Amino acid sequence: MFELLKYSLILVWCFLSPPMWAQQYDLLIKGGTVVDPKNNIFEPLDVAILEGKIQEVSSQIDPQTARQVLDARGLLVSPGLIDVHTHVFVGGREGIFAGGFYSVSPDDFSFRTGITTMVDAGTSGWRSFPEFKTKVIDASQTRILAFLNIAGAGMIGKPGEEELSDMEIEATLNIIKQYPQTIVGAKIGHYTGESWEPFDKALDVARQAKKPLFLECHLPQLPLDQLLDKMRPGDIFTHTYGAVDDRLWLLDANGQVLPSVQDAREKGIYFDVGHGGGSFHFKLAQPAVQQNFYPHSMGTDLHRFSMNAGMKNMLNIMSKFLNMGMDLPAVIEAATWNPARMILREDLGHLSIGAEADVALIRVRSGEFGFVDAGGYKLTGDKLLQSELTIKGGKIMWDLNGLAAKPFKN
Amino acid sequence: MTRILSLTLFLWCTLLVQGQEYDVVIKGGQVIDPKNNLNELLDVAVKDGKVAAVAANIPVSNATTVIQAQGLYVTPGLIDMHTHVFQGTDVDSYLANGLGSLPPDGFTFRAGVTTVVDAGTSGWRNFRQFKHQTIDQAQTRVLAFISIVGAGMYGRLEAQNLNDMDPVLTAFMIDLYSEHIVGVKKHHYRGDNFTPVERAVEAGNMAGVPVMVDFGEHDPMLSIKTLFLEKLRPGDIFTHTYSYTNNRETVVDENNQVKPFIFQAQKRGIIFDVGHGGGSFIWHQVVPSIKQGFLPDVISTDLHFWSMNAGMKDMTNLLSKFLNLGMTMEQVIGRSTWEPAQVIQRPQLGHLSPGAEADIAVFRLHEGDFGFMDARGRMMKGTQKLETELTLRAGKVVWDLNGLSVPAWDTEPLKY
Repeated sequence: MFELLKYSLILVWCFLSPPMWAQQYDLLIKGGTVVDPKNNIFEPLDVAILEGKIQEVSSQIDPQTARQVLDARGLLVSPGLIDVHTHVFVGGREGIFAGGFYSVSPDDFSFRTGITTMVDAGTSGWRSFPEFKTKVIDASQTRILAFLNIAGAGMIGKPGEEELSDMEIEATLNIIKQYPQTIVGAKIGHYTGESWEPFDKALDVARQAKKPLFLECHLPQLPLDQLLDKMRPGDIFTHTYGAVDDRLWLLDANGQVLPSVQDAREKGIYFDVGHGGGSFHFKLAQPAVQQNFYPHSMGTDLHRFSMNAGMKNMLNIMSKFLNMGMDLPAVIEAATWNPARMILREDLGHLSIGAEADVALIRVRSGEFGFVDAGGYKLTGDKLLQSELTIKGGKIMWDLNGLAAKPFKN
Repeated sequence: MTRILSLTLFLWCTLLVQGQEYDVVIKGGQVIDPKNNLNELLDVAVKDGKVAAVAANIPVSNATTVIQAQGLYVTPGLIDMHTHVFQGTDVDSYLANGLGSLPPDGFTFRAGVTTVVDAGTSGWRNFRQFKHQTIDQAQTRVLAFISIVGAGMYGRLEAQNLNDMDPVLTAFMIDLYSEHIVGVKKHHYRGDNFTPVERAVEAGNMAGVPVMVDFGEHDPMLSIKTLFLEKLRPGDIFTHTYSYTNNRETVVDENNQVKPFIFQAQKRGIIFDVGHGGGSFIWHQVVPSIKQGFLPDVISTDLHFWSMNAGMKDMTNLLSKFLNLGMTMEQVIGRSTWEPAQVIQRPQLGHLSPGAEADIAVFRLHEGDFGFMDARGRMMKGTQKLETELTLRAGKVVWDLNGLSVPAWDTEPLKY
């Protein structure tokens, strides 16, 4: 009887012990330079991942402890990037953004650019958000969050999008309450009338939901200084460096950043790039950054008309600012921790222990590069960020050069 | 007075016309145009959306845009003969009007591609929806094989339905949309017979177009020798050439030898297409094939949701794989321009002959340390990689990676 118990115990031990013997980590990223602005890290460190979470960030983690080891020497190891300004409510409708051809599919552009989270900038409103949720958000591998448009149908173009009666505070708030994790704020975008009603309603929604207002400034009749004055600390202003015709540029006749804009920044309003197809011009960006007017976030304004133009992708925009003199950790911060804070999702955008393992391995290429703005002018530079490998929730989603792959042996 | 004014106006107009002899001149690149046997340093001039001239030392004084292409390759815009671009939001569908298909423009121009051919995502029942939804909306030129299955590539269930494989209606649809439809596709049939192939060939015969065959999944496995030598016609296409999966006979045998009848089939005129995709490009099949002289006739991506972020990535990555296996630039470009143009019976595409639509790609060939993955996640090292610098579609710049076609920002008049 004792023998039987002994053998049973040995048997049980045999079954139970492999997990204890087995490696401690699923994945170890070794030898890269970790840049994690939230945690003030910019130094060579190893990052270990277990069960989809960041488990350890320290120097010289033993490779024996991991099932898989990535050699990240020469690469930056950043939190997965967050694009705070996209239009990804793609669908079959012609000539519009909401459920239409003007939007693009998120997974087509995210991982290959180091992005793990995209925020849709109000392509949907309270009427169309459920469709956006089932057809795009739930079907995508990228984490999709959204600002909800005050226009009920979202970006369906004129006149529907400007219909005041379809801007309903209660209905908008209800949808936000139903999806508190996914919807990160309210958006006001395209309105050509003189009424303050759309803006005020959007702001009211944002206030009641305790979330930021995202202002996409195609509001030609509403003066810039008044808009900025009404906006609260934590609200977001996009298309910052655009020489657009439907609002005042942010620089005065002498190329100086407007006092009202400086005041707004001091008050705590965030400024997003929102490059898009028509909203980023070096003639504004260059003088602005020379006056230390850097963006808080690197939003792309990704859509059908920006994807193949000067914008291209978020790393291309980040490279523009890198070449304009913004330092590397600041550029990464504007693509990780800053946007996470702006959308009140402080669980994202960093590599703290226990955080979801969204990681981007980025190469800083040296060479001669050209960067095109929305006006068809270029800046030449010597640095270009390139996405080598992207991890979301511990899983490898993009691997440009097969860093994680086993070598082929003939 | 009026006459003088008219004369002045006339002269001025003439000057204006002379002043814009060319819209674009691409200077000093290595032009590779396999159809015209060109592989040399030449300039390419574009006017009104067409190739106007390919010659040495084209004067640039009369060109609106001059692109300096020294050190770069200038080729016809690439044709990707195997893609799935019938994008939509039917969440029950696999590819047809589904999320598995991709809107083409985000993948084409940045990879030098100006024409994609959809590989049977739609069938005669839903081709018109595809046309409305993708073909008419895309900037990329979209052509299509239509599936022999009326429902197209909706799901594997639908692909088994012999009752929905109607050669007559398929041929009718091709006739109706002969501008866009280039052939018939057979795919994903699990039966133990050649019936879908026969129906596709029947439709192909009626419409005068080639058939593309994705020949897997038959249970039990069917012979590709029979397929190549008895069932298909010269000019028909075998895609997923380098796959290695269950119920799919491979081109390379277990001793790493290309099966002799493969060469016979290629000689007979069967077109071997890469169709990389998410599961159909295995180094164990590719490497012996290339070493033993069995080269693909057409290099294509099989672009869809499950290949875009995997080993495939895009057309330039795929072409780079073949360059690193020892194929020449000329061979690789030929198999992605003039060869597919001939296979799909579109001789007006895939070359830079004067008068042709100005679809042009400009590539940089990087030297360095690169890795390339196959569909099983095995990596091979390489030293060469193509990058798309610039793409023109019908004479218009649709991709410009480094701003080769635009002026420096500080030349813009500053007016705030």
